[in-house]
Amino acid sequence: MANETLAGGAFRLRQADPATRRAALNQAIIYTVLIIGAAFAILPFLYTVSVSLMNLTEATGGRALPSTPQWTNYTEAWHDAQFSLYFMNSVKITLISVGGAVVFCALAAYAFAQMEFPGKSFLFTLLLSTLMLPEAITWVPNFITVSWLGRISPIPWINNWPSLTIPFMASAFGIFLLRQFFQQIPRELWDSAQIDGSGHLRYLITVVLPLSTAAVMTLVLFGFVGAWNALAWPILVTTSSDWRPISYGLLVFLDEAGALLHLQMAGAIITMLPIVVLYFFTQRHFIEGIATTGLKG
Amino acid sequence: MPGLHYTISAKSGVGALALQNWESGFHVDSTASQPAAFRSDLRQQVRAAPSWFRGRQGRRLREMLLAYSFLAPAFIIIGLFGLFPLAFAAYESTLRGLNKIVGSYDGLGNYVKAVDNLIYIITFWIAAALIYFAVQAFVRAFQEQRQEKTKPLPWLMPGFLTAAGAALFTRFVFILLPEMLLIPSKLRGQANTQEAFRALVVETWWLPKVQIALWIAILVLAAGSVWALLINRRMPTSSRERIYFMPFFNAGICLIGSAALTWFTWTEISAAYTAALEEGVELELWSQIVTISAGFLLLLLAWRLWESASGRSSNTGVALRLVGAVGLMAGAWVLIAELPRVVAAGDEDWWNGLMATVFYVLGTVPIQLGLALILAALLFQKIRGQTLFRVLYFLPYVAPFVGTAAVFRIIFSNRPTAPLNSLLDLFGAEPLLWLSEPAGIIQMITGGNIDLGPILSGPSLALVAIMIYGTWTYVGFDTVIFLAGLGAIPNELYEVADIDGAGGWAQFRHVTLPLLSPTIYFLSLYAVIGTFKAFNHIFVLRQAAALGTTDTASIVIFQAFKRDTRYGYASALAILLLLIIMVITLVNNRIASRRVFYG
Repeated sequence: MANETLAGGAFRLRQADPATRRAALNQAIIYTVLIIGAAFAILPFLYTVSVSLMNLTEATGGRALPSTPQWTNYTEAWHDAQFSLYFMNSVKITLISVGGAVVFCALAAYAFAQMEFPGKSFLFTLLLSTLMLPEAITWVPNFITVSWLGRISPIPWINNWPSLTIPFMASAFGIFLLRQFFQQIPRELWDSAQIDGSGHLRYLITVVLPLSTAAVMTLVLFGFVGAWNALAWPILVTTSSDWRPISYGLLVFLDEAGALLHLQMAGAIITMLPIVVLYFFTQRHFIEGIATTGLKG
Repeated sequence: MPGLHYTISAKSGVGALALQNWESGFHVDSTASQPAAFRSDLRQQVRAAPSWFRGRQGRRLREMLLAYSFLAPAFIIIGLFGLFPLAFAAYESTLRGLNKIVGSYDGLGNYVKAVDNLIYIITFWIAAALIYFAVQAFVRAFQEQRQEKTKPLPWLMPGFLTAAGAALFTRFVFILLPEMLLIPSKLRGQANTQEAFRALVVETWWLPKVQIALWIAILVLAAGSVWALLINRRMPTSSRERIYFMPFFNAGICLIGSAALTWFTWTEISAAYTAALEEGVELELWSQIVTISAGFLLLLLAWRLWESASGRSSNTGVALRLVGAVGLMAGAWVLIAELPRVVAAGDEDWWNGLMATVFYVLGTVPIQLGLALILAALLFQKIRGQTLFRVLYFLPYVAPFVGTAAVFRIIFSNRPTAPLNSLLDLFGAEPLLWLSEPAGIIQMITGGNIDLGPILSGPSLALVAIMIYGTWTYVGFDTVIFLAGLGAIPNELYEVADIDGAGGWAQFRHVTLPLLSPTIYFLSLYAVIGTFKAFNHIFVLRQAAALGTTDTASIVIFQAFKRDTRYGYASALAILLLLIIMVITLVNNRIASRRVFYG
């Protein structure tokens, strides 16, 4: 196939060699298709940024660009929607649930990857089978479980952090992801750790985890995105804005802001920004994490 | 792999072979590569260790307990919030009531409400399928026995016992659950304090029937696993004896499940007959079950025949088979045409939700995968800025759904000045209602004068808008996974194809596509199941004006729970959704095992 770079192809085009001319044409077509695809992917985002900087008449009038950027829209949306509250809620929920997920998933993944015990394959199959369950089937039972647990534990669960974080502190996906990485660590390392008198737990903390930062990073990112996306469950278990996460906050704001499109879009940008920034900084971990777990299905 | 297994008791003699074999022979040996000095060093270490640590059994036990304690937190959470809900939902789905956690017992009532008499046919076929799976597990085990000369039979009893233990444990859950759920209502009239609640919890836990059920389950479970462990220990470690525990365990679970389901359905059907007798209505349950089942059997046969046709070489054979298959299908159609009458009294919202989901799958998955494949194939050429393209394509998938859905709500707004409507205006077309349009698109294209019925008029324009959003979100995700799949194809294959004179398209068709088939398979399954689970963006994008035409299965369940507070009914719908997803997965696996090429 066409392996020349665009510049090389263009240079040889002048020599009118039919084969290279075709290659250059191929390249041009490929780039055109790819750029059109990219345009479709990011146009909605650009449109959002543009509308979020308009005033009300411009936003409802169907203009493409604001005449003068209204940066105050962002502060206005931030105050109107109580985003500082929702933002902090989401950050707290994310930190607690992702912190728990890293600890519990790492322990379980280590046991599956590096230890021998009866019932290993059975437990692993059981674990993977939970991936098939639709979230919808857990709504009613978990809602009841959570409210019931709130009655017997010292702190309430409904409309409080436990119901929003504890169910997400361990997942089949996270254990599977970490196990894939832990398995690749050569057994010789464990041998030498043993000679140094290290037990499993110390080996996991001092050797395995530092070697698997990429995997842990991926898990953290997924936890972050998951917590930022959560909607159905927070709607069910929160009764006031005290613990509502940002996606729910945005949904409430969309209804409140009604016709104020520019504020709605500013709110959407505020919601999306942390994840998008995080994504741009860690996109390699992110995409590779998805690709490796996705391929193995 | 071993190394850690060097902590071997002195009596077994430290030949490399003994080392290799000591732990059940599973491990690939790497001792040969270790220098002898290193090994003797290790032996020194081992001798210095305390005796309980040196003992082979002690070491194994220690590792086992440590492994279980590592697993415990994750399994408690997943068990409580991921597995237990399945049993809980099954229990809850048999109860009826508004805003009541423990409603009155209603058997299959909720299911009948959702899908009418079809539920009896479904339970009948699940019971039959479970027996089929059990038989299949047996047959496979014994086929393997003949080929590999191993003995599966000793595993029969421990497998079945453990399965019975698991079933008894489920029974314990079903006994404990209602008692625990009734505690709040018992508290009525008393001081509603946490102490009183906790006291009642403790009291419920120590109820004789709860304790008896628990201990029976524990004893049977323990008997089964100890038996299995004993057999495992007695097995000669040198021979690579296969462990037949799982097949028999699965078979046991299937048989017990089938029996329980048959009994349950039977009592339900008899109850339905008695009720019908009292009311003097004629109940055609059995004839319906027979007709529909026969229809699906014919369909299955037709599919089998169709499949076998593809393997034939003679043209007449193929033709005969195809004609037969078509004939059978026609017969099946006649019988299945009875279906609408069987499900007539079902819940319209639920059927519409399923129909919307099917439309959604058909309208998004092929387009999404096709576009992604094209983009991935192009990106895989040596392209400048490949990373940049990849990052941009992936952005819609990463950005929070509620945020992007809010954007699309405005893009697809019904205002005349909204982006898409101004685009239409450019071409001189009338503005559309988009997300607020309940009419089917085929209906709209044909002018809306003829009533096409719910299926033929196609998805509503509102649903189409949501499909466009769904495709926009997932194309980048699919592209990234396709790219990884393309990267896994060895380059030599293309070089060989080049030498053979295969052109670009031929290479794509005969090298890329077959080797990419596992990825295509994974992505399509993921996309279909994802659609059945889809909730967030549809919940944000749905408008009251679309009259529920955009509500997919998950939304209907959510509304039954949150808006109508019919807990039992929502659970029943969720169980039905799970069944659909399981059937899709099974059928997909079947097809994949034949069609997918794992290079």
